[in-house]
Amino acid sequence: MNLAPYRKKSPWILHYNAGGCNGCDIEILACLSPKYDIERFGMINTGNPKQSDILLVTGPVTKRSRERLVEIYAQMPEPKVVISCGACASTGGVFRGMYNCEGGVDQFIPVDVYVCGCGTRPEQIIDGVVQALAILEKKTKGLEESVKLKKEAVKEGHQLNRRHIADEIKPVLT
Amino acid sequence: MGRQYEIPVGAQHISLLEPLHFKFTTENEKIIRTDANVYYVHRGIEQACCSKFKFRQVSFVVGRVCGLCSISHTTAYSQVAEKLLKLDIPKRAKYLRMLVIELDRIHSHLLCLSHVAENSGFEALFMKTMQYREFSMELLEAVCGNRIQYDFSIVGGVARDLKPETGQLILQRLKNFMPQLEELVGIYQHNRTLSLKNKGVGVLSKDDALRLNVVGPFARAAGLAVDVRNETEDLLPWKEVGFEMITDTAGDVHARNMIRLREIYISIRIIQNIINGLPESALLTETKAFPDGEATVRLEAPRGELFYYAKGNKTQVLERLKIKAPTFSNVAGMVHAFTGNEYGSAAAIIASYDPCLSCTAR
Amino acid sequence: MKKIETNLADLKKDIGAFYKPELHHFIVMNAVQCGDKMEVQWFFNDYAYPGETTCFYALISPEEEVPGMKDIVASAWVAEAELVDLMNIKVENTMKGFVLEPDFESGPLLKKK
Ligand code: SF4
Repeated sequence: MNLAPYRKKSPWILHYNAGGCNGCDIEILACLSPKYDIERFGMINTGNPKQSDILLVTGPVTKRSRERLVEIYAQMPEPKVVISCGACASTGGVFRGMYNCEGGVDQFIPVDVYVCGCGTRPEQIIDGVVQALAILEKKTKGLEESVKLKKEAVKEGHQLNRRHIADEIKPVLT
Repeated sequence: MGRQYEIPVGAQHISLLEPLHFKFTTENEKIIRTDANVYYVHRGIEQACCSKFKFRQVSFVVGRVCGLCSISHTTAYSQVAEKLLKLDIPKRAKYLRMLVIELDRIHSHLLCLSHVAENSGFEALFMKTMQYREFSMELLEAVCGNRIQYDFSIVGGVARDLKPETGQLILQRLKNFMPQLEELVGIYQHNRTLSLKNKGVGVLSKDDALRLNVVGPFARAAGLAVDVRNETEDLLPWKEVGFEMITDTAGDVHARNMIRLREIYISIRIIQNIINGLPESALLTETKAFPDGEATVRLEAPRGELFYYAKGNKTQVLERLKIKAPTFSNVAGMVHAFTGNEYGSAAAIIASYDPCLSCTAR
Repeated sequence: MKKIETNLADLKKDIGAFYKPELHHFIVMNAVQCGDKMEVQWFFNDYAYPGETTCFYALISPEEEVPGMKDIVASAWVAEAELVDLMNIKVENTMKGFVLEPDFESGPLLKKK
């Protein structure tokens, strides 16, 4: 089944707090609420990494949550987009250099969209998510391309033998 | 005896805002034991406050302990620093601090209520409560300039003044909110589906509340009348602006919902009184002194008693700062109150505790 | 704030005589470095006389073991487990690893010499 059009119309969001102060998390919750209503883009909040396309991370990654973060990222199916929400998720922010913080999500997983602000406003989050949608679309295309064989089909009579590809066996000089 | 199963919840879970890990040992769907791991978000703020930041900067850092009650943290820190500096702050600053704390309490309580509704499976009520909550965010933005991190209290006073127009706006919005609040009370109190999910669930008795030193709405729902606003008058004059203690006896999820809703009425009254009788004075007391000695401060945050201990040594950097957040006191009670409940209600019970782990772990 | 000094031997007796669950509220346990000694503090609040904070404190050296308060104050284990990790003191019956990961240097709150 071709999932690509649905992915663009209805991306599912996974939210993980990697040690932030809750400020950005409640703004993500506010995005789900009627005033900002992120569902008009077809997004819903899921709790299951295996069903989600967009990962929203907040907080500087603390020592104890780093493994969970990488685990969640690994469990998400391709294509996936990561948004780091807030100053402390993007760079470490005010927590940079504290002993139990790693300083930023991009130390562990690749981040596609950085949303700034401490705390981020819901409008900014929505803006970031919409940007992420474009990236998601591009990634989907890229994924499909890589599946198709880019090279021309192999013609009759030109079938290469393994021997031909491998280096010629040279006699060992003694 | 049935077979025992261990069910983990967290660290990432749809019903949790923050990383929190519970391990429930269940027998025939009944929870018989709970283990909690609450330190996922430990960042080391206390250490940074005593080494990296000067004491005037710390009030901005401790705001980032928790985004939900950041004003309580900044205010409590400012108060403890003022005690170390032996500083008296102007009356208007005190009133403005109380104003923002109460606005913050409204938004925090409504968030918790909506979360309970969502975790009980009542999605429509979640949406409704979140919609009604937006007014408090807008008011906070009008007063402080930001939706969540206010940075309103600073050492010596407050950072912004309240314009008369903003005061009128607040009164107007609160008047609009009153019928909506009535509607919410009606739903939370009488809705049959929600009551089935919430009544008699997650009960903490008064004896246990006393024994486990529980604070905040969690304790008041169990019938324990603890509220710092009722106690100290020297730092913030709560009784002057019409504070009233609210308690319940049932101690279940429903009682906690009702406590929060009734406290919103008190908060609204306090805000109206503050705006109508706002004294005129300066906003800030300046000083060149350095913090010295020891001091403690207690303050009622939306989730209960917040406790700050600070020690200064006549330099720019504090010697020690200890933050005790409300949820920290409640951890023992939280773990206890799960016992004997169905696993299916665990999500609603967690939400009804209103746990704030970034406060607990710092 | 009322400060009462005790020592490790009398600690359990003193706090046991003072603390009544229905009269007092246990706030938190704290430790402060004073030179090479450590000041361990227990904060209590009185329900009946609100606003009055009582602090029991004992000066210990870092190697000494502090008795656990769990049988007197039922909720003290959270604070104890935190202090064991953060201040590197020893508390009876309390293990490390509640707050910090096991691979972490212990006692991050201690001042570096
Ligand atoms: S960016 Fe600021 S508001 Fe957001 S989680 Fe970090 S500290 Fe909190």
